Amino acid sequence: MKIFEPHIHMFSRITDDYEKLALAGVRAVLEPAFWLGQNRTHVGTFIDYFDTILGWERFRAQQFGIHHYCTMGLNPREANDDRVNDAVMEILPRYLEKDSVVGVGEIGLDDQTEKEERYLIAQLELGLRHELPVLVHTPHRDKKRGFARCIAILQDMAYPMERVLLDHGNEETIQITREVGCYQGFSIYPFTKMDENRMVAIVQEFGVERMVINSAADWGVSDPLMVPKTIVKLRQAGVAEHAIQQLVWDNPVGFFAQTGRLDAAELSQPPGFDRRETFDGNSVLRGQDPTR
Amino acid sequence: MADSNRAEPLPGLLDGLTADARGWLDRARADGDLPVLFPQLPRRLGRIAMGGGVQRHSGATLDLGAWRTCDGGALLLLETRTPSADELVDLYLRGDLEERTMVLRALACLPLGSATATLLGEVQRSNTVPHFAAAVCDSDLLIRARDAGVLDADDANRMLLKLAFVDLPLARVFDATRLANTELSRMLQDLASEREAAGRRVWRDTNLLIAHAPTAGTLARIAGGLEHGDDAHRIAAARGAAHIADPVLLRLARERLDREPSAAVRTELAAALRAAERTP
Ligand SMILES: [Zn+2]
Repeated sequence: MKIFEPHIHMFSRITDDYEKLALAGVRAVLEPAFWLGQNRTHVGTFIDYFDTILGWERFRAQQFGIHHYCTMGLNPREANDDRVNDAVMEILPRYLEKDSVVGVGEIGLDDQTEKEERYLIAQLELGLRHELPVLVHTPHRDKKRGFARCIAILQDMAYPMERVLLDHGNEETIQITREVGCYQGFSIYPFTKMDENRMVAIVQEFGVERMVINSAADWGVSDPLMVPKTIVKLRQAGVAEHAIQQLVWDNPVGFFAQTGRLDAAELSQPPGFDRRETFDGNSVLRGQDPTR
Repeated sequence: MADSNRAEPLPGLLDGLTADARGWLDRARADGDLPVLFPQLPRRLGRIAMGGGVQRHSGATLDLGAWRTCDGGALLLLETRTPSADELVDLYLRGDLEERTMVLRALACLPLGSATATLLGEVQRSNTVPHFAAAVCDSDLLIRARDAGVLDADDANRMLLKLAFVDLPLARVFDATRLANTELSRMLQDLASEREAAGRRVWRDTNLLIAHAPTAGTLARIAGGLEHGDDAHRIAAARGAAHIADPVLLRLARERLDREPSAAVRTELAAALRAAERTP
């Protein structure tokens, strides 16, 4: 079973996690830019964070045979912070052109303030301009209202719904997203958001159309193996293999492939940007020593 | 400074591109925001192996074995648009893995200057080994930067020590033996001793590079290298012996030749002995 993990913050994880992910069948991960556990106070720390997930983090993933993609954005918590919000908006256009950036995100609502809405709208406009899908974080408090508010904003802007992934959904929100035609993500998180058994029940009732599941693993108590663990539960409950494959691979790959920057065929190749060993079969250098 | 009107593509680059890709590259050379264009190179021009082997270009010697169409396009773009040193460093620092690689490969062909020193300093402190290789390997950048005074002797020594530390072949740094000095030999020998004490592998080209600037302990190391269990170490030691042409080493090389099981090593040993006969 091939797995695309569509929401995981590897920046906060250790190499053991990469090893376990690879062993469990994870071929590719998507790392949304997000909050780091405490507030940043100047834009420079955002720049270095963005550069790290585009560079070192991607390289780390490649060491374990895992393709690494990311989304870039100003998260809703820090959208409330005038020390950084406008400055981050200014640097985003350059980062949205990067090859491994396959969306704008995580953007969305958290405390559902007026400022959060303003920066959500501004970033949805960036998504339209750069022709990118958006990964929308929905609030953990007052979720149903926050979900409805996100959808109202998207509909107001006539955002193409097939390019919207509303994340951190649950039993209540699935009813809403099925009607509007966007993708919905379920974060399988030990103790909180959503557990594996509830996820099985959702799949049995609603199927897997435009649904993705993720671990949303980060620096908190979380489990990067939640997607493979949920696959086991789905199998035990008798869900068909092809439906599971659609949920954990076809759907997330299809969603992010809308950028044209992620090629499903490329995912079957091992990742890497230093192809010297593979290229070099015919190189004149082999067997010859230019130092002599 | 490359004259933008005369910037020449590397041989074979344009033939390897589709008409769409060539059109995009022409437009990018003429106009547009470089930091926005640069990350698009791999998806516009592809990552197709260029081939072409060793080439001379813009005063540099480089091996295109690792180069892809996007690397060739990046060099052409940079030679046409001639960004300032600050702009070039910014393309690297704010670049993703691919952008950094493209900047570093192009660096060998760009004018030597403050950006060369800054970027070589960056890769020296990087753990992304392919980036270190993209800057230091497959060209004569290091020796030219040293000759031009962009790097000092200590900088060059630290870079070659790192090359050994991350186990890249000396042959990929063109003319590197010209950078040999006794201080570097001491550093390499100390690294080798430390690795041996820990039961770890020693850089296979140690015995070749130290032979070019022998210091205390060098002869003993090369003598031991002639009997090393690994072919690559014996090849390096045979080449080292050829360079030093010390009578004891040559006697040990002759003694080894009859027992040497590897044809490649025998060739090197024979070459060392012939070279010694020619020198009085
Ligand atoms: Zn998250």
